[in-house]
Amino acid sequence: MSNTQYEIRDTITGGLWKENPVFRLLLGMCPTLAVTAAVKPALTMGLCVVFVLVCSNIVVSLMRNLLKPHLRILMFTLTIATFVTIADLLLKAFQPEMSAKLGPYIPLIIVNCIIICRAESCASKNGLVISIVDGLAMGAGFTVALCILAAIREVLSTGTIMEINVMPQSFIPWAAMSMPVGAFITLGLVLGLINKISTKK
Amino acid sequence: MPLKKIKYFAEQSWLLIISALCFGLLIAAVNASLAPRIEQNKINKLDDLMRTLLPAAEEFEVAAELQIDSAKGKKTKSTIYKAVSKTGECVGWSFNCSGAGFADKIELVVAVDKNFEKMAGFDCLSSNETPGFGDKIKEAKWRKQFDGAPAGNLTLAKTGNIEKIDSEIIAISGATVSSDAVVNILNNAMSQIKKQMAEIQN
Repeated sequence: MSNTQYEIRDTITGGLWKENPVFRLLLGMCPTLAVTAAVKPALTMGLCVVFVLVCSNIVVSLMRNLLKPHLRILMFTLTIATFVTIADLLLKAFQPEMSAKLGPYIPLIIVNCIIICRAESCASKNGLVISIVDGLAMGAGFTVALCILAAIREVLSTGTIMEINVMPQSFIPWAAMSMPVGAFITLGLVLGLINKISTKK
Repeated sequence: MPLKKIKYFAEQSWLLIISALCFGLLIAAVNASLAPRIEQNKINKLDDLMRTLLPAAEEFEVAAELQIDSAKGKKTKSTIYKAVSKTGECVGWSFNCSGAGFADKIELVVAVDKNFEKMAGFDCLSSNETPGFGDKIKEAKWRKQFDGAPAGNLTLAKTGNIEKIDSEIIAISGATVSSDAVVNILNNAMSQIKKQMAEIQN
């Protein structure tokens, strides 16, 4: 029993820090760079990924003993595509504004390597509980990373966070931060900072 | 040995076939339950925009579906809505139009007065212009100079008084292409819709 508890703890710390998909594994860079211009779309994107990741991990974990090795990637993609389509429809129905803002990046979750990576390296080898915990932890790690980047970019490009003013009146917004160039610079600096912190340890 | 082959294929792919069927059904069910809501969202968004542009209107009726030639010989569909006030009078018209912007297609919803003479303003349904420059076409500050401008025959100027309402539109500095695109879309759609609506009404 304690063995499982250790495994769960490892999975959670792995997802949030040691193997953080954005800061440590550098997976899923497309949404990381594209939707982090503001916190709201980044948060929506992160939650969509959590939903897809948990659902696909559950399905893959349940069918892991039936998978044929050479057909497994096909099965993973099919599963992921199904849940992404559902997430897209849900967003269109209940958050039309966010759906319009995120545009093609929601369907693009299908090819997000984080999800297929977790299906391959965790869900297809582990039981249901570990797979669900892994999905939640990895998804949370991704969401937090996206929100950190988005918060930095939103403050510098508009002076707001979640559309609430946080900067003094005299602050001049840096338009460049909401453009792709801002995404690369912010990601690079944050990655450098995280590497610095983790090597010190 | 065709039978043996069929058996082999079935053994290898049964999971794929069954799960594809299940997932397909799942998506179909979700889609069927959410489709009306998604459709309603689209209608609501257009309705909201039209209501802010024509506050006097109580109801919008679909008056006509027209084909508009955009600059490069392409045809786009435009739906004309008649804005009716509480007392049943026509207080204006509203329609959607689109055209090429700087980065992507710009879709606008436009409101004009009942005689197609003066604009009552416009708003962006969708656009993907450069943040900080071209996307200022969405800002109320810039859009205000269209409120009351003559319908059609708008011209673009680099400098001038943005507060003055006339046919001269002042471009956003650093985003002449986006400003020009909006003016062109409006001129093009307005002139064709004016003509086609005149034919329908007579």
